[in-house]
Order: sequence, then structure tokens, then C-alpha cells
Amino acid sequence: MSSDQLLLKQTWAVTRRLMLEQWRQKKGLVFWAVFPATMMLLFGMVYAHNASMRAGLDAAAAGILVGAALFFSCLGGTVAVIAAERERGTLLRLLVTPLRPSAYFLGVVISQLLLALVQVVVLYAIAWLVGAKYNGSVWLGSLILLLSVFSYVGMGFFLGARFAKRSEEVVVALSAIGVPLLVLGGTFFPMEIMPQAMQNVAQLNPMLHMNQAFKGVAAYGKSFADLRFEIIFLVLFCGLSLALGVQSYRHLLGMDKPQ
Amino acid sequence: MTAAIELADVHKSFGNHQVLNGFSLRIPQGETWGLLGPNGCGKSTVLNMLCHLISCDKGQIKLLGKPMTMLGVETRSQIGFCPQRSALYPDLMPAENLLFFARLYGLSELQSQQRVAELMHDFSLTDFSSTPVKHLSGGWQQRLHLAVALVHRPTLLLLDEPTAAVDTEARLAIWQLIEKLRDEGTTILMTSHHLAEAERLCHQVALMRDGKLVAQGSVSDLLARMPDQAVAKVQTEDVSSITQRANLMGWPWRHLGNDVKLFVPLSLSLREIWDALGEAKITSISLQPVTLDDAYLELVGDAASLPTLASKPRHRP
Repeated sequence: MSSDQLLLKQTWAVTRRLMLEQWRQKKGLVFWAVFPATMMLLFGMVYAHNASMRAGLDAAAAGILVGAALFFSCLGGTVAVIAAERERGTLLRLLVTPLRPSAYFLGVVISQLLLALVQVVVLYAIAWLVGAKYNGSVWLGSLILLLSVFSYVGMGFFLGARFAKRSEEVVVALSAIGVPLLVLGGTFFPMEIMPQAMQNVAQLNPMLHMNQAFKGVAAYGKSFADLRFEIIFLVLFCGLSLALGVQSYRHLLGMDKPQ
Repeated sequence: MTAAIELADVHKSFGNHQVLNGFSLRIPQGETWGLLGPNGCGKSTVLNMLCHLISCDKGQIKLLGKPMTMLGVETRSQIGFCPQRSALYPDLMPAENLLFFARLYGLSELQSQQRVAELMHDFSLTDFSSTPVKHLSGGWQQRLHLAVALVHRPTLLLLDEPTAAVDTEARLAIWQLIEKLRDEGTTILMTSHHLAEAERLCHQVALMRDGKLVAQGSVSDLLARMPDQAVAKVQTEDVSSITQRANLMGWPWRHLGNDVKLFVPLSLSLREIWDALGEAKITSISLQPVTLDDAYLELVGDAASLPTLASKPRHRP
């Protein structure tokens, strides 16, 4: 078996294992669907009630998907995978197999992508049932979602490898870092109602650009040219996030070796 | 014959703590060896080095005749490692755990399925095929843990205290599994605290202390190093008098609390020992042959390993 074939085989093995574990945690799967759907419906109703905001559910579906659903599933999910691997001692066991770090990394990315795909389908199915519409380019929307998922997984590796040694710490890390980012990312409130100082700070928040880019395509039908600033920002952030994730994962492999 | 494992003058420190201090060992292929010694003596460090998890500061390690430094990650396919702590995926079934690791080693889907079925049968895990690992008892988890280490048919098996956390029944079952592997000719290096375990499973044992090899040979060889000795177990409220008398008689001793173990010539009777201890207040005394544990303590001589050992180091006048 060639080196590339082994890499693919190992990547797929990691993906399958993670998906199987996710499947076995049925309650968790239900919550992954219920949480964003509830949020979307609640925020959609609030937006729709406000006459100055058009297409309330269209915007809510997009915002909740990128800002909350993918954040908690992809970023939170990755942190949880790393923390569990460390807690159970399986990371050490993996280190003595020929598993390549890149295969593990890719395996996690793919499993999170598949989960994200399911969330997109579920959320938009519900949104469609209550009358929301997807108004823009599917390809552009997919590109933005892909960049968002990669960014979240990279950040997940970074947070998981650096800060979360135990499963309990995952919730704390997500709450401490994630919720302020969600608020400043315009997931829950429109940016316009925030003070100018907060709006200025929020410009540094990648989640704001994810939100604006995906809302721009999905709710308002904007084109690539309209969203080039957000997309460039996302590409750069995605690169930085993945680099940080890979570096943190390597650090983790060294750190978790016996001493 | 090429040695399966060869460590020569290996040194390793973690910070200021010197864990291995010139450790050397040579294990021929097809043999089962026990690595024994008190906690912290460096047993697990040796195994971790052989698994490529850590490197040595000084010295040379050869695996299957090749220096470790020249071997890449592909050597991991030749080694099966069973860490001390059971490391499995609790939500997966036993076969799914095995299958995952088989795929990591690059076995084809057919080979993986066949190997998993074989291990499930050999390790009597088939009755638990639809039980998630988290619902298995500690003993069954430990069996599966060992099976995972064998999924790729390693030529060299490293076991870190494989029966440390299991009940007697599971220990016996794991011993039988290790015996089967030994009889099939797998080279095995296992750490243990128990000479009885090593005596049953291992061709040879290596005793470590303070990061060095202090003795090696078969268990009977090691017992032969204490010829013509017996152990007098004395319970007393006057430990210092007993130990002073023992020193005068030239009898090595150990004590824990009010219990003192005296290593006495086999020819002495209980009456003669009692008389030799003179005026000391003795609550009870018994005379027994030297056991494997006594030999272990004699050779390793560290009080930290077992709760039954003396709090004071072995004393030899």
C-alpha cells in the first residue's frame, strides 16, 4: 500500500469512527438539530416583527446557521473530540500506531464537514417549511460555509489542544470565548443596534464576516463582488486558523507523550 | 541470533530527575521477558522509548537489529503496545474498536474483518459483540485493550502492567492469553510488580532499580541467589531491639510498623532464632521459606514498591 493510499485509508478510518461515535450519541444529535432550529424560529419571529427588517426568517436562518449551529457543532465538536481523546488516553494509543497527524486532522475536518452538511439541510428544510427563502448563489454560499467550517475546525484544534484537557473544560472554554464572539458577530442582534465602539471592535471578529457574508448571499442575494471584502477576510482567517490548528495539534502530540 | 530488543547504556532524564541511568538489556527474538521493579524505577520509560514515544538522552536502542534512530514510523507496525491504562472508544462496540485500529495499520477491509473476527473469538469477546465498551467490566475492557495491541500481528509485544487493574478471574484469563502468545513465539516484554506473574509467564526477568538493571535471569535463577535462607516474621513492640540483635547476628532485615522480617539461615530452628533475639519483646514469630516476593525485595530492595515492604531500606550490616 502506497503512502498516499495509507493516508486516505487512515483519514477515512478516523472520519468513520467519529461519525459512528456521533451517531451513537443520539441525544446529542437531536440537540444539534433542535438548538439551531429553535434559535432560528425565535430570532426569525423577532426579526419579522420588526417592520424595518425585511426577510426576517431568511436572515435568521443564515445567521443562526453560521453563527450558532456551525460554531457549536464544528468548533465545539472539534474541541470535544480532542478533549475526549486526551481524557480517555486514546491519543497516546494513536501515537503508537502509524497514524499520520495529517490523516487525523483531515479525518476530523471531514467528519465536521459532514455534520455541517446535515445541519445545513435540516435547518434550511425547517426554514423552507416556515416560509424562508435562500436567495443567492448556492456555490458562493457553499464556499462561505466551507471556509467557515474550516475556520471553526482550525480554531477547535487550537482551543482543544491548548486549553481543554477534560470534557468539562470544553463547555467553559466555549462559553468564555464563544458567546462573546457570537454576540459581537451579529448572530443574536443586528449590528446596527450596537454602540459604535462595539461595532468597531466587532470588525475584528471573524464571525461577523462569516455572518455578513452568508447572510449577504442567502438572504439578500449578493454576489461575489459585493462580498469580496468579507470573503478575503474569511480566506485569510481560515488560513490562519488552520495553521494555528495544525501547530497546536503538533504541540499536543508532543505534550501528551509520557513524561 | 539477532536480538529483538537491545538497549545499551541508556540514559534518560525528565528535568532534574534521572529516570534511566545506564540501563542495558538484550532480549532475543521469541522470548518473553518481565521487567520488574518498584514504582518510578523507569520500567514504563523503557517501554515508551521502545514505542518511539520518547527518545533517550544517551545510549543506543536497537529494535530487530536496527538502531532506533534509523527506524521511522513504519516500525510501529511491528510493535504492539498495551499501555497501562485501558484506552478504548467507549461508545463503540468491541469489534468496532478493533476495526478502527486495524484500518489505521493499513490492513485491507477483508483482512481487517477477518482479523477482528479472529481476535473476538480468541479473546472470548463474541458474547459482547453488541455491547458498547463503556458497559464492559474492567476485566473485559482490559482483554479488549490487549486485543487492540495485537490487531496488526506485531512481532514484538510490549505490555505495561497488563493485569494491574483487574480482578483475579480476569487476571487468570489475561495470563492464559499471554501464555498463548508466548507459546506462539511472539517476543514479549512486560512490566509487572509481581514475581509470581513473571514466574508464570516469562522466560526471563530483568529487575530494575533507580534506572539501572540490577539482576536478570529466570525466576529460579533469582531465587537461587538466596540460598539456604528462610524468613522469620516477627511481630514486636520493640523494633529497635530486634533490629539491633539482627545486626549483631548478621541477619538482613526489613520492617514495617511492628512487623520485622529477618532473613535467617535455613538451618536455624524457631527456638534458636527466638533465643538469639534475646530480651526483645516478641508478640509472635513464625518461620517460612523464602518466597518470590522476598527474593524480589532482596534483589530490588526498595521500600516504595509494595505496601507490605519495610519503610526502612533493606539493611545489611
